[in-house]
Amino acid sequence: MLTAIITGPGPQRDLTLSGQVSKSLNNESLPMVQSACRSKTTTIQRVVCVAAVLALMVTGCTSSNSTSQSKDEGNEKPRVALIMKSLANEFFSTMAKGAEAHQAEHSDQYELVVNGIKDERDVSRQVALVEEMVASGVDAIVIAPADSKVLVPALRRAINAGVVVVNIDNRLDADVLQQENIAVPFVGPDNLAGAKAVGDYLAANRKGDKVAILEGIRTSFNAQQRLKGFEAAMKEANMEIVSSQSADWEMSRANTVASSMLSEHPEISAILAANDSMALGAIAAVKSAGRAGEVQIVGFDNITAIRQAIEEGKVLATADQHGDQLAVFGIEAALEQLGDSSDSVASIEDVETPVDLITSETLSNE
Amino acid sequence: MNRLQGFLKQLAPHLGLVAVLLVLVAIFSTLSNNFFQMSTVISIANQVPDLTFLVVGMTLVLIIGGIDLSVGSLLAVSSAVLGVLMVNYEWSIWAALPIAVLVASIGGGVNGAISIGFGIPSFIVTLGMLEIARGATKVVTDSKAIYIGSRIEWFGQPLPGAFVSPAFMFAIATVVLGQLFLTRTVWGRYCIAIGTNAEAVRMSGIRSAPLCIAIFAISGMMCGLAGLAQTSRLSTADPNAAIGIELAAIAACVIGGTSLMGGRGNVIRSFIGVLIIQVLQTGLAQVGVSDASKQIITGVVIVVAVLIDALRTRWSRS
Repeated sequence: MLTAIITGPGPQRDLTLSGQVSKSLNNESLPMVQSACRSKTTTIQRVVCVAAVLALMVTGCTSSNSTSQSKDEGNEKPRVALIMKSLANEFFSTMAKGAEAHQAEHSDQYELVVNGIKDERDVSRQVALVEEMVASGVDAIVIAPADSKVLVPALRRAINAGVVVVNIDNRLDADVLQQENIAVPFVGPDNLAGAKAVGDYLAANRKGDKVAILEGIRTSFNAQQRLKGFEAAMKEANMEIVSSQSADWEMSRANTVASSMLSEHPEISAILAANDSMALGAIAAVKSAGRAGEVQIVGFDNITAIRQAIEEGKVLATADQHGDQLAVFGIEAALEQLGDSSDSVASIEDVETPVDLITSETLSNE
Repeated sequence: MNRLQGFLKQLAPHLGLVAVLLVLVAIFSTLSNNFFQMSTVISIANQVPDLTFLVVGMTLVLIIGGIDLSVGSLLAVSSAVLGVLMVNYEWSIWAALPIAVLVASIGGGVNGAISIGFGIPSFIVTLGMLEIARGATKVVTDSKAIYIGSRIEWFGQPLPGAFVSPAFMFAIATVVLGQLFLTRTVWGRYCIAIGTNAEAVRMSGIRSAPLCIAIFAISGMMCGLAGLAQTSRLSTADPNAAIGIELAAIAACVIGGTSLMGGRGNVIRSFIGVLIIQVLQTGLAQVGVSDASKQIITGVVIVVAVLIDALRTRWSRS
């Protein structure tokens, strides 16, 4: 209706021709009525926008939901919800695949629903996922929290609703857990020890004493632990950290930050990156500074892309915390707790999973 | 003499921006011992090509009164196609590159065709494309970073002897071509006319739709080239590449005086906007200020740069 008023007598095709550019057109040549109508159009456009955004969100969600339910049996099997961080991150997508493979093998024991969020900072979506999963009546939630504090209240509501909650990957904040008066078992690797092992290996094979650190997002528990591990190793070996900055876990950010570090501190002989994506960004920075082979690089996570760099000698070492098995460990802990109906408090304890050092030697032994 | 005056007159409108850039350089040079030196210049020259390509396309799109929010995702999808073809299918870069750029151009063309053809605001169409292309990137790469290595890194690394990379030279050439297109061709003038008063353009019997669609396709093509620049700089195709870069690209254009309402813009000035953003990033990292301060300072500089430019324009008018 409104569009017809705006175009007036002109044929419909004219509108499509001037199309969307007409929104920016100045109204000098147009009658007042039109500009009055235009404000109404914007409301309509706004409604269209909102509708489209909603549609996108809905499709986004459904596409990231992968349900592996076997329909041949009844509802006696426990339903476990695995709530991940970004499934665009290789670390979490392998984790999800590991969990799905495990479910396929044990399809008679439990059903699995895997959900992820769009990017690692979308904490509010993750809170919503917890609530949706509780509403859909799952028996257990295994979660890799995007934030160690924000998720706690939502998980308290889940526990109060009778859902078993297991925390993997990123440890929930102990103080907040206490304030909320709940206990959640943590199943995961010791990031501090892993980072310490990587740092120790660098110290043993060092070419110089001055190093720089690329940190993850500083509010995340893993970033803090890995930083502590690196720092401990450097202190023990009497090596000096000349610069330590966050590159938000990102490859391109790390490239910028590492390039700046190398120009500001040409004496740097090694870069310790808190994950492998940032290590890849650092490789490129070292190369473009013309210092390939002089500056040593270590990473963390053992993603596929880093293995080739290790074999080529561009990266010295990384740590493998068996991400593909992490969710499985969490699911097993949850199932154990579900089966242990008599005294659930007794089974709430942390499980530490292994972290291995990966170097060119360990790769050639495979 | 006249020619010199003419040149200075042409240069005058850019002085405000260049001044902002020089002030930034001066500040960082005093704060850091190692900022004002060749290695920093090389490092900055090495980082700008990705954003520079995007900004050339974005400036044109903004001039016709549109906006393109899908540039980061289109960059990632072209990078993904490049990575998968070169690693999983072992294509050479020369075979893979045209396909990668074509994919991004098609994405841009679809943006334009839907938005112009059906009269839907490009804001919402490209927002949809932002999601679609990012999703496609994850499908193509299986959400994994693909390490390509030396077969591609030569494009993004400084040439031996010269200080700049082929990507940088290519980016500069694109800026010059973009500016020539805008000021020296009839199509470029039409773009400005469409952005100023689309109705008047239509009344004068000019068919604007094909041109507008082509501009969106060009923006897509620029995303493809930016994808090549980023992939070669990192030697890796990263499925999470360039998330949020559309905002940096729009900021660079606006710093350069491009109007979000259409009708006004200049590719060279947008490039200076890119330089301002990059100098700021590099400088802040070299000085080593905290993350929180980095964000605050970046925001302040963007607003101040636009403000200075707006004030200068007002003064020169009165």
